[in-house]
This record gives sequence, structure tokens and C-alpha cells, in this order.
Amino acid sequence: MSAELVTVVIDEREVQVAKGTGIVETALSAGIEIPVFCYEPRLGPAVGACRMCLCEVEGMPKLQAVCTMTAQDGMVVRTAQTSAKAAEGQDATLEFILVNHPLDCPVCDKGGECPLQDLTFRWGPGNTRMEFEKRTVEKPIPVSPAIALDRERCILCYRCTRFSEDVAEDGQLVAVNRGASSVIATFEDRPYRAPFSGNVIELCPVGALTSTQYRFLGRPWEIQNVPTVCGLCPVGCNVHATMREGKVRRMLSRNHPEVDEGWLCDKGRFAFTHLYARDRITDPLRRVRQRGFEELSWDDALDEAERLLREAQGRIVTALSGSETVEQAYALGKLLRRGLGAHTAVLPEATSSALDAYRLPLSAIRDAELVVVLGDDPVSERAPIVDLWLRAARRAGARIEYTGDAVESCRRLAGGRDALGKQLRASERAILIWSAEEGSGGSHLAALAGKLGFGDKPGSGAFHLPTTPNGRGIADAWAACCDEEAESPEEIGLLVVSGDEAAADPNVRALAERAERVLVTSMFQGLAVGWADLVLPGTSYLERDGTYVNLEGRLQRLRRAAIPPAPDELAWISKLAERFDVDVPPYASAVFAELSALIYDGLPFGEVGERAELRTRSVAPPAELPDEPQAPAGGTGLKLVRYRGLFSGPAVERVPELQFQRPPPEVELSPEEAEARGIMNGEPVSVTHVGTVRPLRARVNPSLRPGIARIASEHAGDLGGLVEVTKP
Amino acid sequence: MGSRERVQIVLAGADEHDLTKLAEFRKAGGYKTLANARKLEPQAIVDELLASGLRGRGGAGFPMGRKASFLAKDTGKPVYLVVNADESEPGDFKDREIMFRVPHRLLEGCLITAHAIDSKHVFIYLRGEYSHEFEVLRSALDEVREAGLLGGVTVVIHRGAGAYICGEETALLESLEGKRGQPRSKPPFPAVQGLYASPTLINNVETIATVPAIVERGGDWYASLGVENSAGTRVFSLSGNVVNGGNYELELGASLYELIYRIGGGIPDGRKLKAVIPGGSSVPVLTAGEIQYPLDFDSMAEAGTMLGSGAVIVIDDRCCMVQLGLRVAQFYQHESCGKCTPCREGTRWMVQILRAIDEGRANHRDLDLLLDVCDRILGKCLCPLGDAAAMPVASYVTKFADEYRQHVDEGGCPFGGESSLDGVFAPVDQHTHAPVAEVPA
Repeated sequence: MSAELVTVVIDEREVQVAKGTGIVETALSAGIEIPVFCYEPRLGPAVGACRMCLCEVEGMPKLQAVCTMTAQDGMVVRTAQTSAKAAEGQDATLEFILVNHPLDCPVCDKGGECPLQDLTFRWGPGNTRMEFEKRTVEKPIPVSPAIALDRERCILCYRCTRFSEDVAEDGQLVAVNRGASSVIATFEDRPYRAPFSGNVIELCPVGALTSTQYRFLGRPWEIQNVPTVCGLCPVGCNVHATMREGKVRRMLSRNHPEVDEGWLCDKGRFAFTHLYARDRITDPLRRVRQRGFEELSWDDALDEAERLLREAQGRIVTALSGSETVEQAYALGKLLRRGLGAHTAVLPEATSSALDAYRLPLSAIRDAELVVVLGDDPVSERAPIVDLWLRAARRAGARIEYTGDAVESCRRLAGGRDALGKQLRASERAILIWSAEEGSGGSHLAALAGKLGFGDKPGSGAFHLPTTPNGRGIADAWAACCDEEAESPEEIGLLVVSGDEAAADPNVRALAERAERVLVTSMFQGLAVGWADLVLPGTSYLERDGTYVNLEGRLQRLRRAAIPPAPDELAWISKLAERFDVDVPPYASAVFAELSALIYDGLPFGEVGERAELRTRSVAPPAELPDEPQAPAGGTGLKLVRYRGLFSGPAVERVPELQFQRPPPEVELSPEEAEARGIMNGEPVSVTHVGTVRPLRARVNPSLRPGIARIASEHAGDLGGLVEVTKP
Repeated sequence: MGSRERVQIVLAGADEHDLTKLAEFRKAGGYKTLANARKLEPQAIVDELLASGLRGRGGAGFPMGRKASFLAKDTGKPVYLVVNADESEPGDFKDREIMFRVPHRLLEGCLITAHAIDSKHVFIYLRGEYSHEFEVLRSALDEVREAGLLGGVTVVIHRGAGAYICGEETALLESLEGKRGQPRSKPPFPAVQGLYASPTLINNVETIATVPAIVERGGDWYASLGVENSAGTRVFSLSGNVVNGGNYELELGASLYELIYRIGGGIPDGRKLKAVIPGGSSVPVLTAGEIQYPLDFDSMAEAGTMLGSGAVIVIDDRCCMVQLGLRVAQFYQHESCGKCTPCREGTRWMVQILRAIDEGRANHRDLDLLLDVCDRILGKCLCPLGDAAAMPVASYVTKFADEYRQHVDEGGCPFGGESSLDGVFAPVDQHTHAPVAEVPA
């Protein structure tokens, strides 16, 4: 990073920028736009393919594609504003692009928000001289169930293929054939199946790559984009929810350079249609007879809820999802803990504040020199964007180490003799990432970071990848409600199940077996019917106002994009709370104000910000390294690693376009283990544990360590502990 | 110029001996220079190259010594030498003759140059269709390896897959790296970030095959050959409507007239000279009245054309310049890589307009449009391929304007089917290989 300033003259305007700044950005800082199609700095070095940015540069006889150039002292650039030659060049480029581009703007999804339309309007020819047949090809091509490709509209800027090759590194989208016959394609027309595929839709500067969910559904002048935050994983990517007629129609990324750099995973992009799932609950439901249900009015529902709460006489356990907003958790906590003395809550995972002492923005991963990933869970399944940051880091020259077994690695690295541990200690820019189920919510990792001296290194930090989007925020909010602690009731009078993830959790179902009564908040009938006495309609993160805390510890603001089909959680919690003389405002802003005074230093709701800042590192409670792992109780076999697939869960299950992305029924093995068993990649195998047998397909994964077998939870059934993988 | 004594450097001795054999080549003094060169400081060799004034023989004519001195130093990365043997320009067949007649001269040039730039890795990127040349080169390389002459240098002969664009140096590097053959934006130049992002010197076969002679007899000696700014000799590929087609090594500055009439034996069957393409299909044409120009870089520039790759295509009076334009445009449309807009879209449009003219469907506005399309391609593309299509076609339309107008006025070809491009330029279907899908133009 050179701070040396250079002076560049653009269209007779002098501008000072840091040496090496791109000319497109240099011009922008002088208030001058240089039009571009292929230029996109997030995709790596400029390629200069589209020739839209042709400008005159003093000392060079030909027009230059200035997107490929950087600011040098004394440079004199003339754009189309002041150079007839540049204007002619840009006009020529647009004329060439339009020669074969169909004039179907009136029916094109991109029409109205199309860079090609905009640039043609400003810099292009007003008429056409093309009197011959345009190139026509078959269209649309289904690149995947989620993406349609119109090859006639494609202007071959190679943004999509560069994303696939150089950012996501999945290498699935390529250009085939040559010259005017070049087309974007996948290998043998197989579906583009990769966790970040949807980004190519947004990168496309024309209507060539479109979303099958959004095709022909709205025009840009009748939509509104609501800035909010994705609530489907702990990263909390910043997004826009495109609204039309009160419904969410698509999700777009909203670049937060420290969090997501403007990328969004396919779950965040395509899963929103679960809001309109056929089994969405819109009215309260009460159990009749054994498995039947009847709708009831909200007044009756509140009476019923009050009755259930009172009858339990404080023997209440609350099962949280980890996807509630901070405000919802605080409101529910206030009602149950202050109003009813019901302090017991179960969260799907442990949380800890110990990592607050080692906070860094996710973008610090890219700037690191050494990154160590502890654990056997695939990073992209737990927190997809983190995987992109890891790839960016490797491209920038960082060393990335995957150590496997998190607990064992944690202990080893903390010890003084480990070589990698020494390198972590010596580095000024080292990052630790915990990608495993266990870990006490990051406190073990915090202990390791402490041992490695990260506390004194502002460039070194640690991230724990949780499974819930807001587990940390909820735990803090729940804790802030009340100082009292009570023992868990021996008998559960009432189990309050908050949200879909909790309702889908087998552990929660087991608790329900022990409970006398069950109250469930859920979006979907399929999750609540059959075991709940009372069901109150749940809402989605796109229907809520409030805040989330992501895995960095960043407090981010959710904005209500869609009006939920029923009163939201805060509304009925507030009403119910009144009946127990607890004051809970029905507005997120008011709830947050109360809570903020307790745990967020009084930060006003309005100042959380559209691009939230990361709070500075704080002094965190001491943390402890994990205990020595117990030797597996006898037996041989492979240690089973179960992971929750990114494309799983109640929301994904309700989105047809995402079904092809769901984890295939397979077991991953290292090449060594596969060879030892004579198993080939793709072969059917049996995975056995005591009496349980699961038929799966084997996938030999060279990046997996020996000694483990990895299976997505939804295919692992009752398997656990040590398993054996054999040919059937 | 007239009757200067013929100096042979690149092809020297090939008429008298079978120089494809290591023993014969050594008898003729081969690989002695290599042994001597390896005792020299690398910079001393580069200095000789600088003094020689040797300019690249691939087409662009950039001084080789200067290119070699641009190589980034002390990068901690390996330095690569890449030989561009992807000779694909229509009319050009000199490199293949060098490779199948004097392969050892090329290999000796490679090894000397590798020493001069401290490189241990040489890649020869060979045009895919050159199978005979490949076999000859491979046996020669085997002999060199067995004779222990490599001196720790690895030489890899990499065969292309039939793309003209891979003759462009950065597209060649992409292809060599296993990627889609498309040119890179420059800078960074290959000397700084070439193959595998490492410093790379890339030169044409003929250029490299000239190196041993320069190192043996000195840069000053080489500079004394030829004319100012065009030192040394060149192997000219003479083809088209000429009695004695073939490769002729001449000192630069020889006249076009001498090449066509004295050496080439003139136009067959008493027909008349109509035009000459002096440097491969990508350069502007010269009319029969412009052949007094000497064949050197500056004179060709003065004549409004280029020496290019040294492919001289002779065109007699049976040739219809519209059909020639169409075939040339079709070739470049077919070979456009598709990366940058003006070339990809412009070459296709050119073909459409030219076909309309050829078929008598065009009007006078289309002639202006064709020139304008050429002009809009020219100087605006990522690599020289677009220019290579636009420059010659624009020159045909300008220099043979009457013939083009006649096509419009008479609603078709004035030759009435009697025109012939035999031996001048192959029709488009000869450069199409199944199963590549052809886009109707």
C-alpha cells in the first residue's frame, strides 16, 4: 500500500490519487464517468475485453482501454467528454456490441436496470447500420434450475466465467467455441452446481444470465429494494430484498466490503421463496383431538397461550432457534423470565463472548499471511462467504492450513512445541478459524488465540463458525433480561418452541416428549402439526425489524421488507406480556433501546447503520482450552463427522430451485481410507455403526484427512461415534 | 539493389547437407558457437544481439536484444524462453522450412538464448498442423539430449491445437498454461509477467535461428548486412501466382521486383501482375505499380504497408479483389478469439458486407460502411488480430475502389465466374474443421 500521491489530468481536471489507483476510479474521483462492461475489480486484474473504456492517453498513439491502466504521475487522459477520438471509439464499441444484440428490451428482465441500455443511451449510436441477419441461437439455456442463459443477449464480457474461475474457483462456467461463435457454457451442459453460482446473475451487465425465480416477474420501475441483512447463516451478508406488490421477488447482494464484498451464496439468494411456501401458517392453530388442528382467532390464541403459561406454574423451558432477532429474544425473555420466573432456555449451540478480545472483520482473512482452519466441517457449509475470503487469501499469497480435528489441533497448537503454533505466534497477520460442532461457542479458540499472543496483534484474530445466524445475540439478550438464575425444572410443564430451526431439531422434539404441553412458533405447518398444543405463526428474517449479531460480533440491522401474513412475534409477545404485568413494547426500536442500554453501550437503534461497523475489541472473560479428548471407547473404524449442509433446513426444503443443490447421499473419505477399503470414487457403500446401516455413495475427497468419514446430517440418520465403511 | 551476392544465414548449408542430422550439422560447424557462448557472460550475448540490430521475425519487428534486456531481474521466479513456432499467417511457411531443414540451428539458438537470459526452461510452441516438422524437431531434440548438449536446460515441444490466435504471444502463453487461447492485456509484458507469471522471452523461430550466427560472427557483422533499421537477412515465403514459389533467404533491402521476377520467375502463363501482399495476409496490399519498393521495414512503412512475417503473395489479373477481401475477412472471422468486442463482432459484420458485395446485393453506402467498420476495428482491439482483418480489406477497397464499385453497379462480379484465387488464398471451408459449429454470417 503506497501512500504516494500522483497527479493525473482527466478531461482537463487535475486530480490527486494514490499511485496505482485504477484510471476508472481516478476519473470517478474527479467526477468523471468512464463507461465499462467487463471491468469489475472484484474479479481480479482487468482484462480489457469489452473496449468500452477506450480513452485517449497522452503519449500513446492509439486509444487505450484505460480500465487496464493505473494512475501514474503526469498522466493526461481524455475521455469521450473532451476527445472526439475517444467518443468515436466508445460509439464504435457500442455499435459493435449492438450489432448482434437482440432488441428485446421490452421483454427483458434487465430492461430498466441494464448497463447496456444506459451506456447506449449516453455514449452509443442513435441508430443502427446493421442490415444483416443477427446471430441467433437456442435460448434460454438452463445453466441450472436457478439460472437461465440467453446467449443472444450475451456480450461476452467474461464477468461470469471470471467469477467462476477466479473468485469462487469452481471453474464450472466457461466460454466455448471461438470468435462470434463463442458462448458461455458449462461442461457438457451439466448444471452449474456450486454454492455461489447466483452471483453471476448480478454480475451480468445485460439480460443474458437471469434468475429463473425472477424472470418476467417485475419491471425495475415498479420494484423497491429494501436494504437488510441475510438471516440464513452466521455471516449476515448485507442484502437488498427486491419488493414488488408487497412480496419479496429476489435477493441482491449489498456490498459490505468487510463482510461479504458484495457476494452472496445461493441459499441467501434463492431461499427467500420459503416465505410463500404452501404450508405457511397465517393463523394461530390449536390442537383438536390427537393430531387434528383448528384455526382460532388471535384473541382466543392469546387466551390459550396465557392459560398454557399460567398452568405450567413456572415449569417452563424455552427452546430457541438462534434465528430470532436480538429484540425478539429479549422480549420473550422478559415475558418468561420476569413475568413467569421461567429462566431455562436451550439454544442449539453454545455461545461465548471470549472471542470479543480477538475481533477482526472477515476481510482481514484476505490480508492475512497465515490462516489455520481447525475442524473437519467444510467451511463453505457453515459460513459460505468465509470460504470465499479463504480463497482470496490464498490468491493473495497467504498460506492456508487445514488441521482437522478441532479439539486435538487446538491443544496441539497451544503447546509450545508445535511448528505451526510457532509460526502462528511469530506472524503479525495470522487468522484462526474454528469449523466444527464442538468448541464451546469459541471459548476454546479464544484460549488458543490468547496463548498465541493474538491479544497484542491487531492484525491477528480468530473466528468461530457457529451454526445459527444470531445465537450469540440471542444468548446475550436472554441473559440481559434478568439476573436471577433458576434450576431447570424436573418436569416440563410447558415447552415453548421458538422458531422453525428449533421445531425441526430432534433434541427439541425429545424435550417435547417430556413436556406436558407444547407451544410452538413456526412458519410452517409441516413443522408444527402433530406435537404442538398451540401454534402461533412465525415470521422470517425478511419480515422483521431488528438486529442480529454475526460471527464477527458485528451488530447488524434487519429491515422489514415484507409485511408478515400475521402479527409478528414482538406484537403478540407484547400483548401477552401485558397480561403478566411485564412491559414489552411491540416495536423493535423501543425494545432495542432498552436492551442497548444494558449490553450495547446505549447505541441508538438508528445508528446501527446500513453498513454496520465492527465494534472494537473488548476485554473478554478468560477462556479455557479444551480438555484432553477422551480416547474413543474401544472399537475400530472411522470417526464420523456429521455436518449440517448449507443447502438444508426448513427454508431450503421449500424452495424447488434449490433442490439440486442439496447434499447428495454420500460419505466422504480420504484417498488413503478409500484405498485401504478398496473403494472407488462414486461406488455404493454401506456405512455401519453398531446395528445401524446406511447405504450411501462414496466420494473420495483428497482434502479430507484419514481417520474420518464425513456425512451431511440429513443422510447420516442415527449414525454416530465410530463407523465402518464397506462395500455392500 | 540488383545483383548483391546471396547471403545465407538461417538456411545456410541446407542445400548441400542433411542438416537435420546432428552429425552433419556438427560437421558444418554446428553447436560450436553454443560451446563458446556458454563460456561468455550472459550479458555479453545480449550485447551482441543489441549490436546486431536483429528485429523479431514474427511480424512485429521488435528488436530482440532490447526485448531480452527488458526481462525482469531477480524476481525469484524462473525465466522462460518461449519459441513461437505457431506459424499460421496465410502465405507464411518459412518457419516450417527452418524447422524441417535446419532444426538444429533452431535448437542451438534456443540453447544460446537460454544461456543469454539465464533460463533453464525452453518451450517451443508448435503449430498443431505441423506434424512432419514436429517429428523432425523431436528427433533433433532427442539427438541433442543424447549428445549431452542441453546443459541442464529442458526443451519442451508443445503442439498447438489449431488456433491462429495462439501465434499472438500472450494468447500463446495462455494456451501453453493450458487455458483458453486468448490474448492478455498488456502491460504487463511477457518480459515481466509471461509464462506462469514469470519473466519470459518469446521470439519467433527465425529470430532464434539467427542467434547462433550473430554470436559466432558478432553483432557488428550482422548489422552490416541489410539496410538501415533492417539488419540481416530474412526468409521470404514467396507464393501465389508466381512461377517459382518457395522460401528464399535474402538480405533485407532486396526489392520486391527482384524477388518476384528474378528469383520467382515472374507471373506464369504470361498473365499480368495485379497486386502483391508483401508481408502475409494481414498487411495492406500493394498494386502492380508499387513493386519498386525494397523489402525492408522502413520502405514498406513508406509504401503504407508492412514487412510483417515476410510472406509475399503474388496476385495476377484473374483475381477478383472482392472475393479476396471476402476470403481474408472470413479467415479472420473464423480465427477471431472472441475476447474483445470490435474484432469478434466487426469481423463477422465485415464478412456479411463483403458477401453482399460479392453477391451483388450491396449498394454504394455499403462500401462506405465497410470502410467505416474497418476503421472502427482498427487500433481499438485488445491484440493485433482485429487490425489484421481490417487493414488488408480496407486497402483492397481503397486501392481497387473501381472494382468494388463495379460489383455494386453491375449487381455482381464483373469477372462473371472467371476469377480465380487458386494458389493465392484458400476458401473458408478449408480452414473449418468439424465439429466446430459454424455461425452463419
